[in-house]
Amino acid sequence: LSKKVQAIYLWWHKPVIDRELLQSLPNLKVIANSGAGMDHLDMKLVSSFGVKMANAPCAVSSSTADAGMALLLASARRIVEVHHIAVSSSMDYCEADILGVKVSGATLGIIGMGRIGYKIALRARAFEMKILYHNRTQRKAQEEQAVGATYCEKIDSLLQQADFVMVVVSLTPQTRNLIGKRELELMKPTATLINISRGAVVDQEALVMALQAGVIGAAALDVTYPEPLPRDHPLLKLKNVIITPHLGIKTDKATYMITEEAVENILAVLNGLPMPSEVLPI
Amino acid sequence: MWYHKPVVNKELLQSLPNLRIVASSGVGIDHLDLNLLSSFGVKVSNTPFVISTDTADLGMALMLASSRRLVEGYEMAVSPDTEYFPADWLGTQVSGATLGIVGMGTIGYKVAERAKAFEMKILYHNRSQRKKEDESAVGAVYCKKIDDLLQQSDFVLLAVNLNPQTHKLIGKRELELMKPTATLINISRGLVVDQDALVEALQNKVIKAAALDVTYPEPLPRDHPLLKLKNVIITPHIGSATKKTRRIMMEEMIESIQAGLAGLPIPHEVL
Repeated sequence: LSKKVQAIYLWWHKPVIDRELLQSLPNLKVIANSGAGMDHLDMKLVSSFGVKMANAPCAVSSSTADAGMALLLASARRIVEVHHIAVSSSMDYCEADILGVKVSGATLGIIGMGRIGYKIALRARAFEMKILYHNRTQRKAQEEQAVGATYCEKIDSLLQQADFVMVVVSLTPQTRNLIGKRELELMKPTATLINISRGAVVDQEALVMALQAGVIGAAALDVTYPEPLPRDHPLLKLKNVIITPHLGIKTDKATYMITEEAVENILAVLNGLPMPSEVLPI
Repeated sequence: MWYHKPVVNKELLQSLPNLRIVASSGVGIDHLDLNLLSSFGVKVSNTPFVISTDTADLGMALMLASSRRLVEGYEMAVSPDTEYFPADWLGTQVSGATLGIVGMGTIGYKVAERAKAFEMKILYHNRSQRKKEDESAVGAVYCKKIDDLLQQSDFVLLAVNLNPQTHKLIGKRELELMKPTATLINISRGLVVDQDALVEALQNKVIKAAALDVTYPEPLPRDHPLLKLKNVIITPHIGSATKKTRRIMMEEMIESIQAGLAGLPIPHEVL
């Protein structure tokens, strides 16, 4: 069987692609990933076996942008907290204690203005949010104007002004621990950090300390390191933290589109055609 | 007056001979008997527009939280029993889906503006059709018959005010017209929905889910079936519950009271 395998469709990081597996599949030509992030793959290793790689960047962008907005709104309006109050056996609360933060008109800072970041900007604009962004490179003027986004060449400037900081970068050696103690301290004490990228982009211990000390106001995390967190982790107990189980791309529609994109890439390789979304090791 | 308290009835009005004005928080005045108040010569004011944006934001928040199963997801993420996140755990996509807005007033329109950015297809039902420019600006299509909207929508959002025509607007018939994959979002008033019919529809999977900022009564009795359904999110009437907006509401109410006491024209008077 192992000689027959020409393609792997990697669903949710399984199977684990290591040297042993690659050696046991001599005719493997392509690994298609179910999602955009490739940080779980040793791309240099895979490439050294002459195996091509593909991700599914288009399929994931809308659903992930939606998830980012869902987390922003849920955190600002305290949806999880007040739902639990509304269904709990004792309705013991004071109106003034459950007030949220007004989203419309607030400032959103997007770190990472790629496909997903840009879709977030489009959505946030409809909420009349003021949009700042930080990116490796500045976007074209028309693109900026279309969403009313202002470029912050230095991340510090974004962190100091934003009410909501949304992290949407891919995980690379440069973005590991991008948000640490220094960055959290630059943020407003009323600000919310939303992470829909990868857990490792944020220095998690620094985040816990910042939340406990009131250095920032709240956090909403779709991703952590590891996933799931150990059951005794402090992040699970903080009142001002929403954690979701990496649901960024988990919709019926996105799953379908991701699979379509993967199959397109696999067929392209097997037929010797150009791949729609090939990923090369950096 | 906050949250419908105190209850303004004949006994109260008779006991307060010098009462000049009742300033009510929020936009809804369904809890006030306007004719009764008028007969006592008492003026009424509300805070109509300041609440629109936050309420529209909340409508979107509920649609997103429900479709992506945020509350369930959070519980899974923090539960002591969770060992891994299952690969087949999915929500419903909002982007590109069809949103049916019932009641295209100020709030309904703001919801449409937001939903457009999510590339949603927008249908709306209203007492009257809105101007062409307004429709084009958000890409909204008018459904003169509510049935058309109900049959095509993935999300049905209620943004009407409560009056005799909208009382139990959404009942068994309307719920059965909805798609079995559809979600009902209510940011209007509990009584716009036939609550018992809603419970049955949810239990029998006639519709998929509901997200309710309003119920009847508020709060629901603690043993009410709606509190136990996994596919229901309930929030305690927080449509306008942000610090900024509550502050402005209070300022507007005071303005109205001061004008009422001074015999001047009352901003936001309800006639």
